[in-house]
Amino acid sequence: MKNSLLRLCAAGAVLLASLATAVAADSKLVVAMLPKSKGNAYFISCKAGADKAAKELGVQLLFDGPTDSNAAKQNEIVENWITLGVDVIAVAAENKEGISTALRKAQKQGINVITYDADALPDARAFFVNQATPEGIGQSLMDEAARLTGGEGEFAMIVGSLTAANQREWQKHVEARLKEKYPKMKLVVVRPCDDLKDKAQSEATAMLSANSNLKLIMAICSPGVPGTAEAVKQAGKAGKVKVMGLGLPNENRRYVKEGVTDSVILWNTGDLGYLTVYAGAALAKGELKKGAKTVKAGSLGTFQIAGDNILLGKPFIFNKGNIDQFDF
Amino acid sequence: MSRYFRELSVVGALAALLLGLAIFAPAFFSPQPLLSLVTREAPTLVVACGMALVIISRQIDISVGSQFSVCSVCAGLLAARGWPLALVLPASITMGALLGAINGALVAGLRLPSIVVTLATMVTLRQGLNLVRQGEFVNMPDAIQWFGLPQATGQLVLVALSVALLIALALAMRHLAAGRFVYAVGTDAEASRLAGIRPQLVTFLVFVFIGALTGLAAMMNIVQSPQVQPLSGAGLELKVIAAVVVGGVAISGGRGNLWGAFAGLLLLACVSPALTHLHIEAYWEKAIQGAIILLAVVADGLRSRKAGN
Repeated sequence: MKNSLLRLCAAGAVLLASLATAVAADSKLVVAMLPKSKGNAYFISCKAGADKAAKELGVQLLFDGPTDSNAAKQNEIVENWITLGVDVIAVAAENKEGISTALRKAQKQGINVITYDADALPDARAFFVNQATPEGIGQSLMDEAARLTGGEGEFAMIVGSLTAANQREWQKHVEARLKEKYPKMKLVVVRPCDDLKDKAQSEATAMLSANSNLKLIMAICSPGVPGTAEAVKQAGKAGKVKVMGLGLPNENRRYVKEGVTDSVILWNTGDLGYLTVYAGAALAKGELKKGAKTVKAGSLGTFQIAGDNILLGKPFIFNKGNIDQFDF
Repeated sequence: MSRYFRELSVVGALAALLLGLAIFAPAFFSPQPLLSLVTREAPTLVVACGMALVIISRQIDISVGSQFSVCSVCAGLLAARGWPLALVLPASITMGALLGAINGALVAGLRLPSIVVTLATMVTLRQGLNLVRQGEFVNMPDAIQWFGLPQATGQLVLVALSVALLIALALAMRHLAAGRFVYAVGTDAEASRLAGIRPQLVTFLVFVFIGALTGLAAMMNIVQSPQVQPLSGAGLELKVIAAVVVGGVAISGGRGNLWGAFAGLLLLACVSPALTHLHIEAYWEKAIQGAIILLAVVADGLRSRKAGN
């Protein structure tokens, strides 16, 4: 009798011990991160920052996504993660409405959901890590243009299209900043390039011959920047007419190195991944609650929250000095 | 005179536009920028020549923009792998001809309507390319630019090549039997068959030909910049069809010539730089181009009504 009681105690102790180790293993948070497409260099660079944050926080990072930008495949992956019972799901939504049903389901199962890069519907996630506000982009573009030209002279603008909502918004904020801060600068021409690099090259060629006093061309759609750079280079005006705009480092690297393009503006994708993991982990730990005004993200410091948007802050400027640190 | 009224009226409109530019924006004619602008349109002219043939034969090919993209990306990838230009150029033309052969086989072989066939290939090729490249640029070695020639020489070569092709084709269409076959098939396929022409073969070859020209044009475009954007060529089909129609080639087939298509292309291509030079808002560009096309179509409609009466 005594013997069996002892055995029972021993068995209980073993059970307890194994339970404790299981809990210890479980206490490592699992953050699952879903890019729009996992082979895309842009998201791979996001992952680099996310990996760093996961290491610092001691959380496990799952990074999976469709091989192409496929909204249905994104849903499938989220469903798998719900079954797996991860702690945090961070999503860059390919289709706003499409993904939201699956995300709501995840929330019902007690999984913390945030979005980054491209938002889902607001009720399907707790926070959106917003990489750049239109105002922030517009101001950075105009400030950089003013810095490059010494704050005076004529400049031109190439936009993706005259009607696309984001382009209109950015252009509006560039013009507002121009009016407010740089009275000696003048926007003399705005041309659309239909998001085509070739058309941007033709448009910039015509701009250069029509406006001999041009000091800078700003392209606010990504194919526009290399297209403009090639036109300026062919016109023999590299350095005399500055080129800058919104774009990706890889598409502009050769022109930045040749000294044709001065600045390429975007956000730091590594920081975006880093902040997303920190915010997700804080949410899971209960440190980040609805209505919070700020969130801390390791070595990057504190970030502002506007409503349910965690703001990555000022856009990042790629130039000759730093462009080789980025590959996307 | 009246026979070429359509072509001459386009030339007249073009002359008026150029005269206006000479008075209000003489900077338009500074040689170096003008050469650059003309060079930018050289590939479009090559595709427009092909489109004129397709439309004269009473077909249409709206997949040229997608063909152009596929050829550009393939040629760019080969160049990036270090293939010499002497191989990349024929590869691009062959690629275009193959894509054209697919269209041709479906249209001529299965007697399917060309608008549906080329709509299908347009979408398929475009989406396939998106899937493979995901918008990523192809970076090519510098040596490919301007065929390895100095910039100004390279530009002159491209312009000369496109104009030489135009002249050769225009003469061939007028004086060679093969050219007359295209008109015959476009006017009345059944009658041409009775006359001993094989209309299906002519149709097939016309599609192969525009494919090959598109492959050449893609090459003429990628030598103008060291990077290929996979979206390159999007909307090209509308540009060339508009040029051909404005130039007086009847969409119902059998009528029109390449000189008209050339004038139509120049007129439409001038609109955008002209607005930039005249400091007119970019919003007008598409509206003016649309109005030109409308005017051309209305002129055609009135003339055929008169002829009918």
